[in-house]
Amino acid sequence: MFGYYVSLALRSLRGTPVLSALMVAAIAVGVGASMTTLTLNYMMSQNALQHKDDRLYAVQLDSWAPEKAYQNDTQMPWELTYRDAQALLRSDIPSRQVAMHRWGATVSQENSELRPFTAQIRVTTRDFFALFDIPFIYGNTWHKSSDQNPTREVVLSKKTNEKLFNGENSVGRSINLNGEPFTVVGVIEHWNPTPKVYDLNNGAFKNSEEIYMPFGLHRQLQIYSWGNLNGWKSEDISNYEDLLNSHYVWVQYWVELDNEKKKHDYENFLAAYIETQKTKGYFPRPLKFGLTRPSEWLVVNEVLSDDNRILGWLSLAFLLVCVVNAVALLLAKFLRKAPEAGVRRALGASRKAIFSQHLIESGCIGLIGGVMGILLTLLGLSLIRTLQMGRLDQIASMDWVMMLAAIGLAILASLLAGIYPAWRISNTNPSVYLKTQ
Amino acid sequence: MLEIKPILSALWRNKIAALLIALQLALTLAIVSNASVIISDRKEKTARPTGIAVEDIITVNFQPVSQNYDMQTAVAADLDLIRPIPGVVEATHSNHFPLSGSGSASAYYNQPSQETGGEVANYYQVGAEFIQAMGMKLIAGRNFDPSDIQVADLTENRESSVVIVTKQFAEKLFPEGDALGKYIYGDRSSHPIEIIGIVERNLGGWVNWSKAGNAVFFPEMLIAEGNLFMRYLVRTEPGQRDSVFNQLEEKLSQRDPHRVIEMDTIENFLHKSYSRDNTMIKVLSVVIGLLTFIIALGIVGLTTFWINQRRKQIGVRRALGATRAAIGRYFLLENGMIASAGIALGMAAAQIANRMMVESYGQPQLPLPTMLSCALILLIVSLTAALVPALRAANISPATATRNV
Repeated sequence: MFGYYVSLALRSLRGTPVLSALMVAAIAVGVGASMTTLTLNYMMSQNALQHKDDRLYAVQLDSWAPEKAYQNDTQMPWELTYRDAQALLRSDIPSRQVAMHRWGATVSQENSELRPFTAQIRVTTRDFFALFDIPFIYGNTWHKSSDQNPTREVVLSKKTNEKLFNGENSVGRSINLNGEPFTVVGVIEHWNPTPKVYDLNNGAFKNSEEIYMPFGLHRQLQIYSWGNLNGWKSEDISNYEDLLNSHYVWVQYWVELDNEKKKHDYENFLAAYIETQKTKGYFPRPLKFGLTRPSEWLVVNEVLSDDNRILGWLSLAFLLVCVVNAVALLLAKFLRKAPEAGVRRALGASRKAIFSQHLIESGCIGLIGGVMGILLTLLGLSLIRTLQMGRLDQIASMDWVMMLAAIGLAILASLLAGIYPAWRISNTNPSVYLKTQ
Repeated sequence: MLEIKPILSALWRNKIAALLIALQLALTLAIVSNASVIISDRKEKTARPTGIAVEDIITVNFQPVSQNYDMQTAVAADLDLIRPIPGVVEATHSNHFPLSGSGSASAYYNQPSQETGGEVANYYQVGAEFIQAMGMKLIAGRNFDPSDIQVADLTENRESSVVIVTKQFAEKLFPEGDALGKYIYGDRSSHPIEIIGIVERNLGGWVNWSKAGNAVFFPEMLIAEGNLFMRYLVRTEPGQRDSVFNQLEEKLSQRDPHRVIEMDTIENFLHKSYSRDNTMIKVLSVVIGLLTFIIALGIVGLTTFWINQRRKQIGVRRALGATRAAIGRYFLLENGMIASAGIALGMAAAQIANRMMVESYGQPQLPLPTMLSCALILLIVSLTAALVPALRAANISPATATRNV
């Protein structure tokens, strides 16, 4: 019966080409508009650390000014002072922990044709790769002592290794950063989480860094963060050591806590640390710290902006208009065919049969509209990519989940649109139409 | 004269279809009026004057390959190289590029040794030719003199004793309008810095910042030991930017190949800074256009269907003496009544939707004139859409009535 209804539906669509085209267009445009924005919002809400969401926490300490909060009355600073980061690193409660920030330096090689370039660098402690689950192609991370003592070692991203060493095993070889030699100790697999959940400070959709280097190098290289450096207090800073001991916040901190007990212990540790610091005149605000899971971290950092949310709601309202439009058009179409339905009823078709026949017809419109809606979505996304000038290339693309969602949305919309008209026509009184035949 | 009563009773028989049209118009009005208020808000924002010659400025950022580098000599040599290039108006160094989305800010006070009651401003450490190189307008006082230039490091300890500020910042700190010749101070600092000049405007580094336009310029050359970099701003004659751009990188790397040079334009920075707003404007405009188009099509489709259903009645009315104009007017009036009901509903929906957007997403309030003009436009669209089938209805011949009865 189903196949027969489908062929009836297609025949009926061909019978009224203009009206059918209008309905397909309404569904396609509605689906296209809403799927474009929903795809953007969905991709912007991806969490690359989902599989470790129950173990990883971003650490915040409220070290800000006594008279006002960092932002909006309640917000703590996103980053820690270098001093606090060093103190937290001494704890052995977390199974892994990372203190880090963004930096950059020129990269050059002796006796090489390669043109020097500026690389984005992450200055971090050694646990970075294990904590964020990044596999190595060659070599491994640096030794624990390099997190405290200056060691001129680097880990390269896969792309950087391809650029500098044609993708060969480069462990033990040397590159120059800002003109000084560094030894390669490892090469990691391609890893570029979007949004960049581990550091959302300078744009959530930036690429991950090209080179990673140990946290123990600050004093030797006088590293100033290429991320944010925020302060609230005027201090006399006349040299680099003063900056390291200052109240400026610029270090991001993540911990891995294996279970609830460890988390509890760590909370106690943080509270105790702040209390001790208070007696020395630090942390003038009420005691407050934050341990935030990656999924929540994306939310509190407002990766999905208000603009995105407005567009999401707007596109759903848009789809609603398209559905109402389709209801009106379907009603017109079905009522025009009422005599046909009347004859079928008179020949013994049940109300249920008439109802499902017409619902299948609207489903067919939904399917065609859905496929065209996907095409429109792809068009819409490529438009967004052009408007955003390459900044959202990875975001503005559809995966198969969203493709299926688009078809599903279209069919759901057209079935919803079809229910009332199909019910209305299934209630046709056959006698009216038999009279005029 | 107007057939309101018969129309109402005819509509009552078709109440679902009429309701659907009204509902579409209501939803459309709610969406369109809220989208237009966002669009006009963003257009206003992106149209703010920047105070600089956006289209004529090239930016150069370089990092020496090795930290063992004589920056001051290099800057002098580079600027001497750039300035004679045909088409170049002026070139200077700066710690940041205006409108680029990055910059530094600090609080300044009109009294020494304060820590509250100051005003935050974007600060720039710039060469003596900065004002000409940006194409800014000096509205009071004097420009920098090359002898004002001090060498600064990253520690933010102000060395210079003079500053040029924007009018906006001057008025914030000295509301009486007598900022010229007065002194400003850094956080808890007692080092006086004299305001020697006031420029009309500079939007600063962050266009989305609530205090955008607060900017101060110090005659300093920033040399960050251990993290050496330098930035130049090069202003060209109008229309010459791209040809100068092409020569510039080659000449600079020829003079000194041991550095990484990155070039861009202020115009490009501005586009990037506003890309979110521009995306919003374009997406919302497309939504408004598509939505209006879709409901127009829907009204054409449904009115046509109605008229086809009522061909005989129309024929009878024509046969009984109704003029063509009367038939056309009947259907236009019918549509007008449905549309008015929908629009009345839509105004309420628009206000509710707007309240939610104001509260949850910090969007601007929907002014009454905007909503009314959107409503008027929608009414016109609806009537125009109904006009085509209504004219066809008017052409139905009275003979139709006599067939098949």
